[in-house]
Amino acid sequence: MSAAIDNHWYPVAMISGIDAPRETLLLGKKISLGRDGGACWVKNAQGTPLPTVERFGHLWTSPGQPNRDLFTIPEADSPGRRLVDVGSVKVKCSPLRAVENFLDIAHFPFVHTDILGAEPHTEVDRYDVKIREEVDEVWATKVKFYQPQAAKSAAGGITTEYMYRVPAPTCSVLYKTCPPRPGEWDIITLFVQPLTDEWCEVWPWMALYDDDSTMSEMVSFQQLIFMQDRSILENQLPRKLPLDPGMEVPTQADMTSVAYRRWLKKIGYTYGAKLVAA
Amino acid sequence: MDWIAVGLAQDVPPGVVIPSRIEDTEMAIWCTPSGRYHAWSDRCPHRGMRLSHGFVRGETLACIYHGWQYNETGSCDYIPAHPKLTPPDTICVPTYTCVEDGGVIWVSLNSGNDPLPALGARVPIRSVPVSLSAKDVAAHFGTAGFTTIAVVSDYDTLLAVQPCTDTSCILHVLATPDADPKAVSRWVEELRTTLEGVPA
Repeated sequence: MSAAIDNHWYPVAMISGIDAPRETLLLGKKISLGRDGGACWVKNAQGTPLPTVERFGHLWTSPGQPNRDLFTIPEADSPGRRLVDVGSVKVKCSPLRAVENFLDIAHFPFVHTDILGAEPHTEVDRYDVKIREEVDEVWATKVKFYQPQAAKSAAGGITTEYMYRVPAPTCSVLYKTCPPRPGEWDIITLFVQPLTDEWCEVWPWMALYDDDSTMSEMVSFQQLIFMQDRSILENQLPRKLPLDPGMEVPTQADMTSVAYRRWLKKIGYTYGAKLVAA
Repeated sequence: MDWIAVGLAQDVPPGVVIPSRIEDTEMAIWCTPSGRYHAWSDRCPHRGMRLSHGFVRGETLACIYHGWQYNETGSCDYIPAHPKLTPPDTICVPTYTCVEDGGVIWVSLNSGNDPLPALGARVPIRSVPVSLSAKDVAAHFGTAGFTTIAVVSDYDTLLAVQPCTDTSCILHVLATPDADPKAVSRWVEELRTTLEGVPA
């Protein structure tokens, strides 16, 4: 594997879920992980320890030599937020397809009907997208969409504002209007562990302002959403994400996905990507 | 091999879409509310979603992922994310020649100029998946071609064979109109067991 792929941090477990040592896959290779006392460890197939970071309730590792620290989400540290470990969903698709779906709002009325979207509110207004060179991240801002039930905490339909951030090739952070606290952002993340280039484990994590819902209500809400997404992700052809134009047809609503694909190509991130147009 | 049976009309009523395949060609087979059949590539050009998971709305087939609607020629008519936009003609789904005849949905991946297989007075009974290639099914009956195979039975049966993979096919079974469908059904279950080589 190339440095452009190995030298990133990848989520491999929810810290609260680590008890006995276990094996998993990262980029098609076996790794093992566990906990000794307070500290988590990860080893490759040869038994060599790999670097670890414990952050956002998850254990992160890298098969290479990351040239920068794992990204941070400073907003998630503000007091009053509830941090929600959602669990994981294994999906038979490229890790990049999973991230791209997370960046897409136009599917809400059709896949998350009457929750995150509903006809006739299907129009996607123009929003801003750019690759922020100074931090090497993809950002989409001023994304607005009408949602019948934007979160567990929403009392009815509202126009929700979104900001999307792609701080690493298989991770995305969503900042979204917080129904009980206008002016603040709820944070929903998608951390994707590439098991192979066509199979991934998705670890969503949330930092929400919601004083009323129980933890299990918030988890169930998000799991329902991801199960709906899985029915799409396992039925896209090809399973890998095409990075070259020509195989798929974007529109203005897909500006985030277009920027994401362009950025992956620019940084040479080809794991789970399809490079030659069919 | 020109015309291949890809399903029975009774299993694809108006307003329904199903997945089907001829070898490596995966298709969405759908029937318009007014009863016309279509066989399309099973892939939305937008983001590659299988159209067989979509839904029929009016005389169009809509993709389940973003609701893009394709008219009967395969051209995209409507993109819900951009309701005021007239989609360019270049956004279209590859289509295959498809007709319904004798209660069977036939697809041609070639010219579609060959005459349709003659079914006589037979009527469709049911479709049965078999874990054996279409070629091996034909070999079992001692024929080279497998589009349709007449089989001597009490029911004047005819098999329209749909090749799927190297190890599977679907038999669309037709029989004489006065045959008891349950009896034909039992007959084809036995045939399947024989073909798959499983001891009864």
